[in-house]
Amino acid sequence: MSQDILEQFGPLFAPKTVAVVGASTRGTALPNVFIRRIREFGYTGEIYPIHPSAAEIDGLKAYESLGDTPRPIDYAYIAIAAAQVVPLLEAGRGRVRFAQVISSGFGEVDEGKALQDALAAAARAGGMRLVGPNCLGIYTPRGHVTFTEAGPKELGPVGIICQSGGLGTDIIRRGSARGLKYSGLITVGNCADVAPHELLQFYLTDPETQVIGMYIEAAKNGRRLFEILREARARKPVVILKGGRTQQGLLAAASHTGSLAGDDRVWVALSRQTGCVLVNTLDEFIDTLLIFQSLAPHPQHPMQRVVLFGNGGGTSVLATDCYARLGLDVLPFEHSAIDALAELKLPPGTSITNPVDCPVGTLRQEDGRVAEKILDTIYEKGSPDALVMHLNLSAFVGRTSDEVLDNLVQAALRVQSRHPGRAHFVLVLRSDGDPPLEERKRAFRTTANALGIPVYDEMASAGVALAALASHERFVHSRNA
Amino acid sequence: MDTHGLIAEARRQDRAALDEQAGKQLLNAYGLTVPKSVRVSGAAEVSAVFEQLKAPVVIKVVSPDILHKSDAGGVRVNIGSPAEATAAIKAMMASPAISASRVDGFLIEEMAPAGQEMVIGGVRDPQFGPLVMVGLGGIFVEVLADVAFRICPIEQRDAEEMLDELKGAAILKGARGRKPVSREAILDALLRVGGEGGLLMNHADDIQEADINPLIVSEVGAVAVDARFVLTKA
Repeated sequence: MSQDILEQFGPLFAPKTVAVVGASTRGTALPNVFIRRIREFGYTGEIYPIHPSAAEIDGLKAYESLGDTPRPIDYAYIAIAAAQVVPLLEAGRGRVRFAQVISSGFGEVDEGKALQDALAAAARAGGMRLVGPNCLGIYTPRGHVTFTEAGPKELGPVGIICQSGGLGTDIIRRGSARGLKYSGLITVGNCADVAPHELLQFYLTDPETQVIGMYIEAAKNGRRLFEILREARARKPVVILKGGRTQQGLLAAASHTGSLAGDDRVWVALSRQTGCVLVNTLDEFIDTLLIFQSLAPHPQHPMQRVVLFGNGGGTSVLATDCYARLGLDVLPFEHSAIDALAELKLPPGTSITNPVDCPVGTLRQEDGRVAEKILDTIYEKGSPDALVMHLNLSAFVGRTSDEVLDNLVQAALRVQSRHPGRAHFVLVLRSDGDPPLEERKRAFRTTANALGIPVYDEMASAGVALAALASHERFVHSRNA
Repeated sequence: MDTHGLIAEARRQDRAALDEQAGKQLLNAYGLTVPKSVRVSGAAEVSAVFEQLKAPVVIKVVSPDILHKSDAGGVRVNIGSPAEATAAIKAMMASPAISASRVDGFLIEEMAPAGQEMVIGGVRDPQFGPLVMVGLGGIFVEVLADVAFRICPIEQRDAEEMLDELKGAAILKGARGRKPVSREAILDALLRVGGEGGLLMNHADDIQEADINPLIVSEVGAVAVDARFVLTKA
């Protein structure tokens, strides 16, 4: 079974032959851009433009139909008028494995519903699996195929199934900027044939994929989705961003992908029963994927004590409230930890109970190297399950040399190597949007990401991600005991 | 007992829902406790029935036209003697809502021991199939919508988490000096209804909606006092 699904969907994620339908001889249509993008992305397999009359497109020999190419087609990218797609697929003669139909005008509009049924029937008649219609394409670093110019060439652990094309592009762009790396992102649109649960099953089996994210408006086959997730027992974290959870959202989804999304209570139940994480916004989706990409869950010891360390008294208090609401415990230290921290003789105004609140005046001690001693003490005496180090970069401006912030971040990163696997470590770098500070933040983020440390812009976003990780740990702990 | 046959019989009679007696036979077949009851066609049979049951009893009208018996005046509780029973049946027959309906008879039923009223329900979701629901009875369900849903089949741990999820969970543990009710009995009933091989899974194609309301849970057990099963459109 597991081998089967890899063999079945492998050619979609790493096609050896690609057909492109809809490219023009003038080279300006979306499919022309697609040809250019996959070449730039390093695609070296065969590309077959399909065109009713042209002999050549973008310097490539063109063919009249999907049935006429020299070799069978692993992946066909199709962007032509809706009405023309049905006869095109019917001519596939069993020589096409996957056809992704970008075109819209199908089930998402009333007058296209019959055409979508005809499309699915044509795919069956042509002997192929159909992805879409009404989507944007696939981004698959392992296959060097991409529908968007954004996105790293590097293969990563995050596999995405996205029912919206535009949101798919957002996920690649924003996620990459935050350090996410993908094993694939496929936009599935109206799901006339290939359903989200099939791709979920592929990612669950795929050795490249460690974390799975889904944007879903309608499950298509909810029963199968449930069964697959239930059977997987959260062996890979699955994060679901569900569109259409309110009455008004349902109506919006109906006109977007033709979805009848159904009852929201089912999705809450699905998450409780299968351990998948339900999130509400694109930001939460990326924040949560990032924590799962960066930190290995500790199901044998689910997260309890979260320690906060950084500058900003009000920030610490608000974060403690926020984390408590998320079901995370910012528990005060025991005496041994407080005594050990007291021995560091930090300046007045420093709070050492948890949250550990250190004003800039404390953090600039020893040019910032003091952070290393504090962190070591927390690790050794404070029994943290997760440690959030937060720096309000703005508060350092004009009060310390640039070197202090560098040293603080370096100290934090260095400490990690001395306590591997001890606690989840998350860095929060807060700033006020001032361009030079944002630039430094970006640089810190890159350094931290390279060491596998997730970086967040705010305490609340780190909290949402930590709560998701904690809930995953609890689920796996309780269900696999 | 052939539970599929029970449903097939209701379909043959063109019923949109199982009547109360058939519903309780279905529950009984899945191992839920239902009160001992006898169906009579009218007041004349009451005395003979009283010898088989332990008073006090409840009398309920059985009619395919009446889904909400209490609202129609079709439920009388705490009936202690055949004379009271005869009077109750006559009074029901005279009430406007009942005299206007087809009446198949009356169910005379032993009263369940006092306890906390709970509700176990089920609904068939077009995409996910059968869902099972649990809540505390009365205003908790009707006004506060304090219920927990899961997709069938549920496991023991799901059932436990469903109860823990209820805002009124503390009531089951015996809040305000009351005795705690049997958590095991609720869990057992939930699994028999929503678990693997349970009622909702086995009859997923036939049951559109299930409503076991109330399930009266005491210190020692749970009794399904009323049950309504709406069938899927054939």
